[in-house]
Amino acid sequence: MRKTPSKLLVLFFVLAFSASIFISEAFAANSEDTAATSIEGAENALVSAYQSVLEVEQVGANVSGLLAQLNEAGEFLAKAHMAYRLGNFDSATSFADQGKDVGIEVENNAYELKDSAWRENIQRMWLTIMGSVLGVILIGSGSFWFWRFLKRRYP
Amino acid sequence: MHVEEYRTLFIVGSLILMLVAVAPTLSLFIRIPSGSERFSELWLLGPAHTAENYPFNVSVNEEYSVFVGVGNHLGSSSYYVVYVKFRNQSQQLPNSTTSEPSSLSPFYEFRFVLSDGEVWEAPLTFAIENVLLQQNFSLVQNISINDIVFPVNYTSIWDSNRNGFYYQMFFELWLYNMTSNSFQYHNRFVSLWLNITST
Repeated sequence: MRKTPSKLLVLFFVLAFSASIFISEAFAANSEDTAATSIEGAENALVSAYQSVLEVEQVGANVSGLLAQLNEAGEFLAKAHMAYRLGNFDSATSFADQGKDVGIEVENNAYELKDSAWRENIQRMWLTIMGSVLGVILIGSGSFWFWRFLKRRYP
Repeated sequence: MHVEEYRTLFIVGSLILMLVAVAPTLSLFIRIPSGSERFSELWLLGPAHTAENYPFNVSVNEEYSVFVGVGNHLGSSSYYVVYVKFRNQSQQLPNSTTSEPSSLSPFYEFRFVLSDGEVWEAPLTFAIENVLLQQNFSLVQNISINDIVFPVNYTSIWDSNRNGFYYQMFFELWLYNMTSNSFQYHNRFVSLWLNITST
């Protein structure tokens, strides 16, 4: 009878120890998966932001501000990858999430900039076309009237 | 003066002036492709920001500095990664003939986007730490790069021709490919030979 409580106590500690190992391994696997998922999300956000910046660049807008932000996201993503390789999964997740946030912000800013650059380009295009048409009309009519003037003056 | 004799000249002159007036509109729609070569640059500079005094004989636990730089001449903004790798004498370097990178995992990396014509440069400070040096054998356990310590555990055999334990730090340039939606090795790398000494 006196031995039973001590046996139960030993059994309790063995079970508690085993449970703690199991739970910590489960958490570790979970944090590694979380880090990998976060990094993948950050990579996708960065690539998407980069593609948006390229589109803005193609319509002729100044993308230097966007590139500076994008490089900030790139630094976070690089740190996330390095932390992951070192097994610092919590740090990897944190860096990846920060990188993703910056990437999303860059993409949103890029779309706004693209819209305004596109509108400016359209305006500039119409002004250029109108200027050329006006120029051709003026030169054509001016040449015609000048030719008639010369013919009258020097028959 | 007979004006009719100058009719053709007058018409040609008017047409040329009209062409000048239309030129800005034509430039909106006609793009003349640039004939310049498209390429990226990758370089390594010593601690004084010059192409000399590169670290070579390196002591354990001493810090050394270099600068790594990239230049973009690809015609548009480009997304680069520079991987910092470390090898012993027998491990694989990138293969310039087949455009294949080294199969070794990177330790450190830089990620950045450069606009066309822009250059990027960053300092890199490294130290070889926890080295076991025996008569014919060395083991590098750790390397720190920009204050981050990476486990290495690479061995090197004594090189009797060059009298040293030789390792190599090298930098691979990778470029994001919009067609394949992935990074690809850009067939450029620079490297530093390091002779590990105890003091």
